Order: sequence, then C-alpha cells, then structure tokens
Amino acid sequence: MSRLGTATAAHVRSFAREPVNLGFLFVLPPVVVEVYGRAMATFPEFPFATAGAGTLGRVAGTLFSTAFVAGLLGLFQVISARRGDERLVLCGLGRTTLLASRLAALVAATLAVAAVSLVVLSLSTAVSAPGVAYAALVGAGLLYGLLGVVVGAVLPRELEGSLVLVFLADADSALSTGIFATDAPLVEFFPLHYPHALFTDAVTTGTVRGGDAAATAAYVLAALAAAFVAYRARGVSG
Amino acid sequence: MPNIGEDGVVLRAAGLAKTYDSRVPFGRSVEVLTGADMRLGPGEVVGIVGENGSGKSTLLQILVGALDPDGGSVDVAGRVGWCPQESRLYERLTVAETFDLFGEAYGLSEDAVESARDDLAARLDFERFLDYQVRHLSGGNRQKVNLAVALLHDPDVLLLDEPYTGFDWETYLAFWDLTEDLVEEGVAVAVISHLVNERERFDRIYELRDGRLHEQEVPS
Repeated sequence: MSRLGTATAAHVRSFAREPVNLGFLFVLPPVVVEVYGRAMATFPEFPFATAGAGTLGRVAGTLFSTAFVAGLLGLFQVISARRGDERLVLCGLGRTTLLASRLAALVAATLAVAAVSLVVLSLSTAVSAPGVAYAALVGAGLLYGLLGVVVGAVLPRELEGSLVLVFLADADSALSTGIFATDAPLVEFFPLHYPHALFTDAVTTGTVRGGDAAATAAYVLAALAAAFVAYRARGVSG
Repeated sequence: MPNIGEDGVVLRAAGLAKTYDSRVPFGRSVEVLTGADMRLGPGEVVGIVGENGSGKSTLLQILVGALDPDGGSVDVAGRVGWCPQESRLYERLTVAETFDLFGEAYGLSEDAVESARDDLAARLDFERFLDYQVRHLSGGNRQKVNLAVALLHDPDVLLLDEPYTGFDWETYLAFWDLTEDLVEEGVAVAVISHLVNERERFDRIYELRDGRLHEQEVPS
C-alpha cells in the first residue's frame, strides 16, 4: 500500500472506532431532520415555495445535519490528532501527503453522512432526483468539512472550534432556506446558499440548475484552497 | 555505522535561543534558552538534566525539528529517532497498526517494519499488546511503544525525553540493556530527565540552567 493509502486507512480506522463520530453519523441526522420537519410543519404554507413547509423543514434539516456533521469531522481531523500528525511529519511523512490523507478520510466520512442523511429524508419525503440530491449533500458536506479543517487550523481548540461551526452552520442553514424575507445580497454568498437551492430542487421538482451546481463546485474548490493554505501555514508545531 | 560529521560529531547545537512570547498584549514573555551549545558523538550516552520548567523539552523539540529556535543552529548527521515526553500516538490505532503507519512514514518496507517491530516487542516485552488499541495500554506499556516507534528505523541519533517514565524495574533494566547494545553499534543517545539516578551510565551530563547547557563532572 502507498504512503497515502496507509495514512488514509489509519485515519478512517480511527474515525470508525470513535463512538462520538458514529453517534454524529447515525443519530444526529434522524433527530435533526425530524425536528426541523415537525417544527416547520407548524408554519403556514409559503406561497412562493415548491413544497409544503414540513417538507422544506426536512430538506433544511437534511442539509444542516450533513454540513454540520461533516464540519465537525473536518475540525476533529485536524485538532484531535494534531500531536500524532506532528510526529508523523517529523518521522518523514510529507505534510502534503498527510493533508491529502486527512482529506481523503474526510471525503469518505462525508459520503457516509450524506448517504445516511438522504436515507433518513427519503423515509418521510419523496425525493424526485436522488442522484442529484446526494451530489448536492456531498457538496454541502465537503464544503463544511473543509471549513472545519480551516477552523481547526486557525483555532486549534475543539470546544471553541465547535462553537464557531455551530454558529456558522446554524445561521447559514436558516438563511439559505429562503423563507426569511430578506433582500440582503450577502445571503447569496453564504456557503450553503447554492447547495441548498440545488438540493431543494432535486428533492421537490427533480430539476437541476447548472448555475447552482457550478457555484457549489466553485465553493468547494475555494474551500479546498483555503484548507490547504491554512493547514500548511499551521507549521509543524503550530 | 552512523554517518559521522567531519569533526566526529553526529549532532551539534550552537547558540540555541528560544523565547515564548505572549499571544496577548502586555502578557509575559518567557526566555527559555539563551545560547545553549551541545555536541553528541557516535556511541556516546549524554544526559541532559534540569529543574522543572528549565526548558529541557523545548531544547529537545528544537533538536528534532519540531520547534524552530529564535537563534542558533542544529546540525545532525544521520537518521534521528525521537521519543517525546508525551507519546504523540493515535489513540484508536492498535499497536501493530501504529508501527505500520510510522514505518511507512520512515520509508521502511513491510518486511522491515514487521521484523523491527517483533524484535522491539520481544526486547521491551509488549508482544501480547500488539493487537491492543493504544488508548487501552497502561502508562508503562504506552511508553514502551513510544520508545519503540523512535527506534523502528534504526536511527543514528536517539533523542529521548523522559524515556523511562512509568517503567517498572525490569523494563528499566531492559531499556538500559537495549541502550548499551545501541551504543555498541555506534548510536548516539541523549536522555533528557529531571532526575538522573545512575550517573555512571552516562558519558557526559549537561545541566540546563539559566537557558544554557553546563557540562558536569561524571564519576568514572
């Protein structure tokens, strides 16, 4: 096995053996999707919406749980294993190889959490275009996973980093639903804006707007560049 | 036989300086090293002692490259093995997986890793824990693995930070047996400790005091 393969396998094993990660993966999505769905089902119907309020709540909950869990996993990837990673680099594993292995493990975790979230949603809501919906969730998860890496590199403390992610994902998720009457153009720049539009269309109408898909991909690439810069700038001993 | 520098020294540190600056305005800066010099020859065992907070671990982290000094230089000829005070291992990997991962980082083949791992496990008596996750090891066994990871790639220079913390008496003796064998092979060993009980085991002892290393007399 290559260096990258060995390191990635080690990170995935460490991830899968952490009960908290498994809790995030299998417990958080059902709870969040259901809570969002029930809470928003009490809202009046939105005249401009393509689905009922309860469905839109579940859609928002699915996106939030995927993004938030992936963000936490990105954060923990960087912070929890920091000391071991430093030793590994000093033993000769290249810093770029180490980052690549961390990102590969993050991709694997994101694919898993997106799959769990989509399955949970599909138990209560018909998904018109499951493939596109899954891709949109993976995009949102990768985006937040990479933001988690950036936060972890800049603010290397689990509690403080988690709070930053909670605040960011919560505000981002709420504003990206489009149910708040705001004309502020700033909302369009929030990370979940385009993944949310892409995901909502995939679930409710089965359509795909190329602009939303392209913007989501561009955001993921920008987050990847930011994660690379932040991780490299952190230095060996940080 | 290790790679030896032109002057027969495998590790040389000159004028090392390090100050930890406060990250907040008006906070205190701590001057830890103010011009530390040391050298290490092949087959030498050198002790570095000092009070708590004297900067021993900072010195060792600079010697291995984990920390950048504010001033001075470190030259090393050959492969370095580092046993940090905190084990810096992955808690949820098994001991065997830990060796696979670090062996890959050192650039060793699978056979070389397996051979070195089995040899070190037998020598330090942790064979039965190879399938245990690191987090399930006792402090002493964790320290054995920590030390073994530093030795996995057959280093020329071995830098050990409080290496026998948590060892029982048998393991302590096994550690020194292993060290003597390494020294016979020409490996240079530096042991950092806040306590050096058996001074006759060392060729030289430095005391880290006021940010500098002072060489002490060693009984013959």
